[in-house]
Amino acid sequence: MARESTEPTPPDTRTYESLFEHQALFDFSKIINSSLDRKFILNHILLTIMGKMVSVKGMVLLGDGADGYVVTMLKGFDGDLLNERVSIDPLPDQLFTLEDLDEGRFPWIRFFRDQQAEVLLPMVITDKPIGFLAFGGRYARKQITPKEKTYFLSLANISATAVEKSRTIEELRQVNRQLDMKLQELNTLFDLSKEFGSLLDAEKQIRLLVLTLMGQAGVHRYMICQQSGPDMRPVASRIDGPEPQTRLLQDLARIKRPFVVDNLVIRNHPELREVLKGIGMQAVVPMQVQGETRGLILLGEKMTKEPFSPENLEFLASLGNLAMISLENTRLFREAIEKQRLEDELMIAREIQKGLLPAVLPAIPGISLAADNISSKQVGGDYYDALKLSETEWVIAIGDVSGKGTPAALLMANLQATIRALVPLKFPLDELTGRVNDLMCENTGGTKFVTFFWGILDAYAGTLRYVNAGHNYPMLIRLDGSVRRLDKGGIILGVMKTEIPYEIETIQLTPGDTLVMFTDGVSEAMDRDWREYGEVQLEGAVRSHKEESADQIIEAVYADVVRHVGGAPQSDDITMMVLKYSG
Amino acid sequence: MSEFNVQQREHGEISVLDLKGYLDAHTAPKLEDAFQDLLAAARFNIIVNCRDLSYISSAGLGVFMAFIEEVRKNEGDIKLTNMTPKVFNVFDLLGFPLLYDITNEEAEAIRKFTEKRK
Repeated sequence: MARESTEPTPPDTRTYESLFEHQALFDFSKIINSSLDRKFILNHILLTIMGKMVSVKGMVLLGDGADGYVVTMLKGFDGDLLNERVSIDPLPDQLFTLEDLDEGRFPWIRFFRDQQAEVLLPMVITDKPIGFLAFGGRYARKQITPKEKTYFLSLANISATAVEKSRTIEELRQVNRQLDMKLQELNTLFDLSKEFGSLLDAEKQIRLLVLTLMGQAGVHRYMICQQSGPDMRPVASRIDGPEPQTRLLQDLARIKRPFVVDNLVIRNHPELREVLKGIGMQAVVPMQVQGETRGLILLGEKMTKEPFSPENLEFLASLGNLAMISLENTRLFREAIEKQRLEDELMIAREIQKGLLPAVLPAIPGISLAADNISSKQVGGDYYDALKLSETEWVIAIGDVSGKGTPAALLMANLQATIRALVPLKFPLDELTGRVNDLMCENTGGTKFVTFFWGILDAYAGTLRYVNAGHNYPMLIRLDGSVRRLDKGGIILGVMKTEIPYEIETIQLTPGDTLVMFTDGVSEAMDRDWREYGEVQLEGAVRSHKEESADQIIEAVYADVVRHVGGAPQSDDITMMVLKYSG
Repeated sequence: MSEFNVQQREHGEISVLDLKGYLDAHTAPKLEDAFQDLLAAARFNIIVNCRDLSYISSAGLGVFMAFIEEVRKNEGDIKLTNMTPKVFNVFDLLGFPLLYDITNEEAEAIRKFTEKRK
C-alpha cells in the first residue's frame, strides 16, 4: 500500500520554490540595504534583475521631484541616454510589460519602445513611484509568468526603499555640505573683519585679502586694484604677463556687479575681454563702498577648474566690500594722522620761529626801530634780529631761510646761533659774513640757503655799515623822497663757501631817513589773480607815510598789502623791519 | 587671543613644519614667514604636519596656495598630513584634495618623497 510506503514524500516543488524565492528576496534586501552608496545599490538592483530576467539591457530612472524621471544608470542601453529626463505621466493602473500599453494614452511609452525596452517596473513607496526600472534584450523571449511578475515587482519595491533611503542620506549629506560651506564663508568674513579692524596698514590688509581669496576661491592668479584719484591702479597681482593699462581697468570700475569674464560685453572696449583672458583672469569682482566701486578683485582659474558660480561671486563681492571698507578707513585714518602730524610739526616750527625773533627790540638813541612778522600757515622761516654790540653800536639783521616748516625754522635757529656767537668777536662785517656763509655751507651741505642782510648801526656817528648776502634790497627813503637801494654784498648764504669776499658799504644817515627791510613775502604777496604786490607799490606806500614813526609805517604797509591780496591765502611769511633815524 | 605656532624639523632632505593651534587671518603671516624661510634656504620637500592644528581659515589655506607653485617649480612638494576631521573638512570643502597630497600619516608622506627621489 502506498500508504505504508517508507519512501519519503517527494518535496512539494511549489513550497520549495517559494522558499527559495523568499530566501533570495531576503538576501537581495539585505545586500542593498547594507550600503548607503547609491551607485552600489543601483548597480546591484540592475544586475540582480537582469540576471533573473535573463536580459542584457537594464536602466534605472529616478524621480526628479516633479513628474519627470532621469536616467541615472544604464547597462546595455545607449550610453547617451544617461541623465536624459522622461516625463512619465499619466501612469496606468497596472504596469509591467510595455507591449500591452496604448501609446495614444501614454505617449511617454515611445521613449522606452524606441530603446526596445520590454519590461518596465515601477519602484513604489506608498503608491508613488520613486523611479522605474526598464529592461530589454531578454535572452529567451518567453512569456513571464504571473508568479515571476509578482516576484520582479517585489524586487523593484524592495529596491525602492533602499534607493529612497540612500537618496535621503545623500540629500542630507549635500545639505550638510552646503551648511558647512556657508559656515566656512561666514567664518571667513568674521575672521577677516576681526583682523582688518585691528590692522591699519594697507599693505598688510591687501596681503591678507589676497591670502583669503586664494584660500577661499582656490586660485593662484589674481590682481587687486584700488581707485587712486582718477586711476584704477593694480596694488597686488600675480598674473601671467604685464598688467593691463589703467585706462582699461578704469572701464571695469563702471561695473557694479561681479561677473565672469566670458560673459563680459563692454561696448567701448571689445578688446577688454581678450585682455583679461590673455592674463588668465576669469572673474571680476568690484569692491564697493556705499554703492561706489573703489576697487577690483580679478581672479584666475580655480584649481578645481570649476567655473565661478553666481553664489561664489556673491560671496566674493561681500568679501571685497568688507576689505574695501577697511582699506578706505585705513586711508582716511592715515590721511587724518598725516594732517595732524603736519599741523603739529607746523605748530612746532611756528613756536621755534616766534621764540627766535626778539620779543622786544633794543632802544637805540636817536633811532626808532620796529619789526613784525606774520607767519604763513606753512611757516616760511623768516628771521630778523637786533642786538646791542657796544655802547654806540647795534647789529640789525633780516633774513629769509629757504624751505618751509620745521626744517626752515631749524636752519633759522642755526643762523641765529651762528650770528650771536660770531658777532661779539668784532670781526669786520664783511669778513664775518664770509664766516657765517662758510658755517652755513658746512651745516646744510649746500642744500639750503638763506638770503640775508645785516648791518652795524653807529647811533652816534649816524652810520650804517652793511653787507647784503642776496637779500631783497632794503630801501633807504630820504626825506626828499629819493630812494637808495642797499645792494652791496655778495651771494646768498649756504650755497658755496666764500671765495669772493663780501663787499661792505657804509652809509651816512641823515635825520628823517627811513630804512625799510623786508622779505619777499611782502613784495611777492599775491592777490587771487596771482598778481604780486611788488616793490614799486611797497616803495609808494612807504613814501606816502615817510613822515610817520617806524611802527606807523609798518602798520600802513601791512594795511596796503592786505588790501592788495584781498583775502587770498599767503604761502610765505611776511616780515618787515623799519628803522627811522632822527639824529 | 588666538594662539598659533610653527615648529620646523629636518628629516634629511625633507623639512617638516608642525603646526599648532589656530591658523587664521591673524596668524597666517607666521606660516608665510616659515614658508619663506624654507624657500630661501632652497628646501622644497615640505611636509606640513597638522596633528595639533585645531582650526584653519581661508587665509590659512591661502598660504598653501601662495607657495605651492614655486615649490613644485623647484621639483618639490608641499604634502599635508595628520589632519583632524574638522580641519580636513575645510580643506575638502574648498577643493584642496584635488591639488594637494594629503596623507593620514607623516611616514607615508616621507615615503612618497623618498620614493620619488629614487
